[in-house]
Amino acid sequence: MGIVTVLWEKWVEFRRDFFKITAAALITPVMYLIIFGLGIQTTSHGEPYLHFLIPGIAAMATMTGSFSAIAQNMSVQRLYEKALDQVMVSPTPLWQFILGQVIGGSLRGMYAGCLILLITWPIRTGLIFTPVSFVIMFLNGTVFSTIALVLSFLAKSYTDAPRYTSYIIMPMSFLCNTFFSTDQMPVGFRQVISVLPLSQSCEMIRRIANGMSPGAAGFLILAGYLLVFGLIAVVFIYKKKNL
Amino acid sequence: MLELKNLTKKFGDFTAVDHLDLTIGTGEFFGLLGPNGAGKTTIISMLSTVLLPTEGEIFIDGQRLDRKASVQKRKLSVITQEYSMRQDMTMDEVMEYQGRLYFLPRRVIRQKSEELLEFAGLKEFRKRTVRHLSGGMKRKLMICRALMIEPEILLLDEPTAGMDALSRRQMWNLLRQVNVNHMTIILTTHYIEEAQALCDRVALINRGKLQKLDTPAALIEELGAFAVDVTTQEGLVSRYFKSREEAIRYLEGAGLEATFRGTTLEDVFVDCAGRKIG
Repeated sequence: MGIVTVLWEKWVEFRRDFFKITAAALITPVMYLIIFGLGIQTTSHGEPYLHFLIPGIAAMATMTGSFSAIAQNMSVQRLYEKALDQVMVSPTPLWQFILGQVIGGSLRGMYAGCLILLITWPIRTGLIFTPVSFVIMFLNGTVFSTIALVLSFLAKSYTDAPRYTSYIIMPMSFLCNTFFSTDQMPVGFRQVISVLPLSQSCEMIRRIANGMSPGAAGFLILAGYLLVFGLIAVVFIYKKKNL
Repeated sequence: MLELKNLTKKFGDFTAVDHLDLTIGTGEFFGLLGPNGAGKTTIISMLSTVLLPTEGEIFIDGQRLDRKASVQKRKLSVITQEYSMRQDMTMDEVMEYQGRLYFLPRRVIRQKSEELLEFAGLKEFRKRTVRHLSGGMKRKLMICRALMIEPEILLLDEPTAGMDALSRRQMWNLLRQVNVNHMTIILTTHYIEEAQALCDRVALINRGKLQKLDTPAALIEELGAFAVDVTTQEGLVSRYFKSREEAIRYLEGAGLEATFRGTTLEDVFVDCAGRKIG
């Protein structure tokens, strides 16, 4: 029930800021697609580079969409508007509030990812996107929504949210299997990068797009991140002395 | 009944609330008075579970209050000192969000929003977002939001801060009406006359410690119901007397630079805390 309340709140926000949210979800990924996919035309593994790029950009859009939907919003609610106080004093179980935020954030990420698939659909790349691809995008979104929640509980000021984007989202966007395969990275660095959630999401969506099985390892890794950060978020909201 | 037992809150080395013990009866209008930084808002924040105590516990009707205590939290509503609302929601959305957080049915939410916004004179602005409301309108909206759920305990943290005199009197009348229905009200304020006008009992708090606790009349009586202010080279000095005759005798001997008046709760606090407030 509390989950529905949070989803309703997210829906109100989405409905009001529809054009702003849509524009923000599209601009950066479309720029990447134009520059790297259409402008600098090249090939990867014998295929047009665009075929490599689209699954990565879709996963990246899911990540940024989910992260920004939660990080900025929760930091402002907690530190500036103090609107989180309204939730804390209410009888809504706080775990339901957390779960609602995670699902709501992930749906925003899914929206961004689906927009990318929609605008690249006319290109007729022959890439395959199955329901499992969307499950991966949703799971990816939940992981980054949860990370965003934890960081927003740690934030000391509402200007911290853009910093988190610079420290976490920006490096992952470029390094995690989005624009180039992690196979090309130096040993050691490659192993670290390849276990990051975006690397796994990109790899699984790309494998499905090319008609292969995504494998189970990626799901387990994403589920692991979700569990760890989800638990931290729940512990913070119940136990953090000065929320 | 609300009980605070050995309630303590520390921020690093600073003790904001220091081993506070209080029992507040059902239906009581209770005032927490103190200067800025006395610890009033910290107490309210612990009652609303935004802050967790460093030591001690809070009980509502014998049940411990914490962040998991949904049954106890259902009885509470808070009006914070700051405008704690989503700035980008309309009034209607703020009310609906509150109703949903307390699991009220949609029909009840709509009906109560209608009634309360009408009562507060806000109905015509219901589609306006919070960020486009005046300070007074935001304050009224927070009251509507708090009353929507018909709480058993209403926590008010400086509810009239920044209000003009007329709005403040309207607020007092509203709170008196609400209290008639046996709602327990805990009010923090540094407007002493507000506490004197509204509260059944007051706790005087300074530096997180309970200084005095009684009815306003009893506290005034204890200090002396009659006051004489004498202007000296050091400034205004007040003397308090149990009887009018004593005060008048003192006034006659004090010369021209003295005035006679009734003692107020503010005098009690100034005498207790040693600093002027209000």
